[in-house]
Amino acid sequence: MNSTLDKLGAILRRDFLTAIRHRSGFAVTLLGVFTELAAFYYLSRAIGPGFRPNGVEYFPFLLVGTGVYTFFVMSAQAFLTTVQEAQQTGTLEVLMTTSTAPAELVILSSISAFGGSLTNLAVYLVAGVTVFRAAIHANAFSCLVVLALSLVIALSLGIIAATFQVAFQKGSAMVWLMGSGLWFLSGTLFPVQSLPHPLSVLSRAIPLTYAIDGMRGALLEGRSVSEMAPTLAVLAAFGIILLPMALGGLSLSLRRARQFGTLSSY
Amino acid sequence: MDEIVFESVDKMFRHRPALFNWVGQERSGRTIALRDVSFATSKGQVVALLGPNGSGKTSTLKLISTMLLPDAGSVRVGGFDSRRDAGKVRRQVGIAVANERSFFPRLSARENLDFFATLDEVSRNERPLRIEEVLNDTGLEEQADTLVMKFSSGMYQRLGLARALVKRPNVLLLDEPTRSLDAAATTQLWETIRSLARRETTVLLATHNFAEAAALADRLLLLHRGELVADRSLRSGESAEDLRSLYFHLTGEIDGVQTLHRAGAAS
Repeated sequence: MNSTLDKLGAILRRDFLTAIRHRSGFAVTLLGVFTELAAFYYLSRAIGPGFRPNGVEYFPFLLVGTGVYTFFVMSAQAFLTTVQEAQQTGTLEVLMTTSTAPAELVILSSISAFGGSLTNLAVYLVAGVTVFRAAIHANAFSCLVVLALSLVIALSLGIIAATFQVAFQKGSAMVWLMGSGLWFLSGTLFPVQSLPHPLSVLSRAIPLTYAIDGMRGALLEGRSVSEMAPTLAVLAAFGIILLPMALGGLSLSLRRARQFGTLSSY
Repeated sequence: MDEIVFESVDKMFRHRPALFNWVGQERSGRTIALRDVSFATSKGQVVALLGPNGSGKTSTLKLISTMLLPDAGSVRVGGFDSRRDAGKVRRQVGIAVANERSFFPRLSARENLDFFATLDEVSRNERPLRIEEVLNDTGLEEQADTLVMKFSSGMYQRLGLARALVKRPNVLLLDEPTRSLDAAATTQLWETIRSLARRETTVLLATHNFAEAAALADRLLLLHRGELVADRSLRSGESAEDLRSLYFHLTGEIDGVQTLHRAGAAS
């Protein structure tokens, strides 16, 4: 356990030092957050106060939807980028020869990648509330529960993208597909009830729909865990299915890459 | 007990053309990296792996480090099988790869070593001491706190060796370790290798440098087109010239230097 914490500390430190030594990257990310929020703020003003999806104001609705969506896609992308860079520099091969088991290494690395996205989500929401005056009515405990379950799912999706990268060198295509499909179908910009029936049914098969729904309920409507039990149960079920599947797939793809000598192919 | 055991190892790489490669000339095919290779090394032995490009030297090192898995046969390190007990094999092996960019560029040499030492489960108390030790052994003390993105090829190579040494492996795998080193650094590395062998570390050294093999190795494995064509002791003081003759004799390659000498003498 000590050793695992030590390794997690080393990975977090590596990623933190790398991030702060890319000083301009840091500033650009922050600028991006404010630009995006400003765009959504003025969009909601242009649409007017009459449009209240699910009974809440449109700007907070957008704030949570786009924040959670960005968290999912950015997490998968950040993790995938870590794997791709490690392949390109040859670091992946060397990492796979250390005493740390590949699965442990991947999970610890993904936690670090998710740490960055989580910080981004926190900055996004706090800026939305403090600078752009989004009205919230938060239930902190429910928010934490939704976030924890969403983390498991985002982690699984990130690992699946990494699996595609290691197995077929096509992780970016998977993230692109995920990003474009989820944007449209998960209720990021408008309620899924507005979709035609077949698409609305399809949206119910996407975990992000429940993560966004849950976070809106917890952050904007102050709903308790028991009130959101069905949504949380579905999120938990997705996590229970996706995480072992993702880890199994990654383990297989790493073994296959060792067999075929493609660990560093990209 | 033998430290490294190769038993009838085969390794082949299949190439498939890219999907939808209608216009390209790429065809599928296969490259035989190793064919029925068997050998065993004992503790503290320094083994030179010689062979032309593509003869299977790097594949041999990668198979020992578990970066690759054999298609047939078995690879064992310290009694552990590289397929079944990959984790236990990795604990014993340190590898300095030829790819000199395999570091995190925005971390310093010390930070990189600390990162890899942590993943190699070197205890927190011991890490600073070991890092200092390997920085000294590889002559990188003065560059310890420089970001590695500013390193030269030679410095990368030394850092690769430092990374392999920081876990104090029983088996050290070196892929062309002096390729980018100057004369002083080469001498220092040779001394480090000799001292490791005295401490019972088994060293496998893939090299094209006959002088290096003659100076360091007490055994020679010569690979050619994936086959082991010579496995002999070098304890009777063979010179670089002896190894050179043996190499060109067994591989059938053309010795450009000898040809030049002969042409010079004739003119």
